[in-house]
Amino acid sequence: MGLANCHVCDQLVQLGDQTDAICPRCHSGVHYRKHNSINLAWAFLISAFIMYIPANTEAIMITDALGQQSSDTILSGVLYFLTHGDWPLALVIFSASVLLPLLKIISIGYLLISVQRRNITRQKEKTRLYLIAEVMGRWSMVDVFVVALLAALIQMGKLSTIEPGPAGLAFAAMVILTMFSAMAFDPRLIWDQPEKI
Amino acid sequence: MEEKNYSQLMACHECDALQNIEHIPKGNVALCVCCGQRLFKNSHSPIEKPLALIIACVILFLVANIFPVMRLSIAGIEQHVTITESARIFYELGKPELALVVWLTSVILPAFCVFSLLYILLSIHFKKPWRFSRFLLAWVSRLLPWGMMDVFLLAILVALVKLVSLAEVVLGLGFSAFVALVLCYAAAISSIEMHILWDKLDKIST
Repeated sequence: MGLANCHVCDQLVQLGDQTDAICPRCHSGVHYRKHNSINLAWAFLISAFIMYIPANTEAIMITDALGQQSSDTILSGVLYFLTHGDWPLALVIFSASVLLPLLKIISIGYLLISVQRRNITRQKEKTRLYLIAEVMGRWSMVDVFVVALLAALIQMGKLSTIEPGPAGLAFAAMVILTMFSAMAFDPRLIWDQPEKI
Repeated sequence: MEEKNYSQLMACHECDALQNIEHIPKGNVALCVCCGQRLFKNSHSPIEKPLALIIACVILFLVANIFPVMRLSIAGIEQHVTITESARIFYELGKPELALVVWLTSVILPAFCVFSLLYILLSIHFKKPWRFSRFLLAWVSRLLPWGMMDVFLLAILVALVKLVSLAEVVLGLGFSAFVALVLCYAAAISSIEMHILWDKLDKIST
């Protein structure tokens, strides 16, 4: 039909043989499919995976209590709560910081591979997977916020201080990169017939 | 390019199937025939209900950001923290980029979305084609996923559980307001149908 859907405002725009246009309603770019969707999504995804490693191996929080320094990684924090019988908290931290980002990276990677291989089976399930992956990534930011709150509350006591470790920045970068990756991926590619891609 | 209004047609975000949404009864939700995802909701009050919720959000937002969310006392020293202060601590500790990420996602972007939506909904409600409505609505739809107040709420709860064993923690007025804000904001966003907002903006400006 030569109609393309504006990503920002849902306006249908008559594109015809052109590949690009400016939406008359919200002035953002309109195209049939997001440009370079697969390449961009891969680039962000691989960067996110690289950030995932320091995010989990480096210290997220450096505690200085009465001159004694100790640094915590995410996993050592989870283990601490687990051994102290606080398993609901351990579960929340483990799933938000370790499990969810990994699942999100695997999900988007799987969708990208299946689109590249022109696999057009189970499209409904893949669409649902994409939507779930899209919303769950942001919850990994929870650790950065927790460190901010703890640092701000403990700082003034002077007897002990809490400082963010190098993993904090890696976490923030990972969350932002997985979100960019999910946004770059065009779910409509899942539904395109092989000859159209 | 032919200027034509396709407001009765809608393409699914997920699979691009073109569908007619003209005859969906009030109060019903249409699912995409192709992929089964939510396509469109023809709400009974597409403007008034979100407007009421957004006004509540504006008030709660101010209260939640002015008053401290938590108060901590160790050995007689009291310390309280607001949401912006918890972002500022990273700046003071020499991590300005982290401070910026926390501040943007928990204060600035939600604030932008709440106040812009208030402006847009008021513009539609009073049928006044105010200048920035379209510009703001385009940016709200782009920036909406970057507001992370709900994640921040979870972080407050986690920090609370971590601190309870160490010191005396009291939740402040900011916390109650913040819980209410997260709920109102989620309700407001889910009651907004962007398609309808754009259609109404189109109607008042012509």
